[in-house]
Amino acid sequence: MALRAAILRHVRVPLEATPKLQPWNGSIRSMSSHDDHITKEEVVDRVLSVIKDFPKVDPSKVTPEVHFQKDLGLDSLDTVEIVMALEEEFKLEIPDKEADKIDSCPLAIEYISNHPMSS
Amino acid sequence: MSLTSAAYVARRAAQREKVRTLYRRALKDTLNWAVHRHLFYDDAANLRDRFEQNKHVEDPDTIDRLIVDAEASYNKWRHPDPYIVPWAPGGSKFTRNPPPPEGIEIIYDYGREDNN
Repeated sequence: MALRAAILRHVRVPLEATPKLQPWNGSIRSMSSHDDHITKEEVVDRVLSVIKDFPKVDPSKVTPEVHFQKDLGLDSLDTVEIVMALEEEFKLEIPDKEADKIDSCPLAIEYISNHPMSS
Repeated sequence: MSLTSAAYVARRAAQREKVRTLYRRALKDTLNWAVHRHLFYDDAANLRDRFEQNKHVEDPDTIDRLIVDAEASYNKWRHPDPYIVPWAPGGSKFTRNPPPPEGIEIIYDYGREDNN
């Protein structure tokens, strides 16, 4: 016991040498499925590129304010196809009732940018 | 007269919505059955053609019958193990690794609690 006390009195382990575990700063959790949310500009860009790639759409007409049926000359089934393409692009699962209401670019952008799981 | 025409318009609108939903489900199911993307394109075109065939049908009762037939066909060929987006209910990542609640913080001081 005396030996132990004597040793402990003389041995100094420098505290600073031990590696410090840094607490993660705030929202960034690497390896987590909950990434930071994508920005609205990125949503707009990707929505527009998806619509421009749709075969029946004239890419020069596509703007962020466009309505699928009134402005692009599509029919309701084409709208369904576009919404499905958007779902795949942003890895979303949109319920049927809500997907049915998305009929224009502003609505799609709003829905996707407000969706917590869009990526 | 206006009441009947209003009822007619409402019925047609309900039928349109049904057809849109049915097309959406059938299209997703086509993607489930297709092993490759290039196979899906042909299947989707065939599905679209089947819908386009009856595009100009005007009689509501006929449309109702067609919708019932199409739904029966959809239910018959529904995929037993459809693709579900990972985070969605039934998906492979559903409720995995949820983010900690607001205001909860992890402090990494295991073993050093006393001498801080």
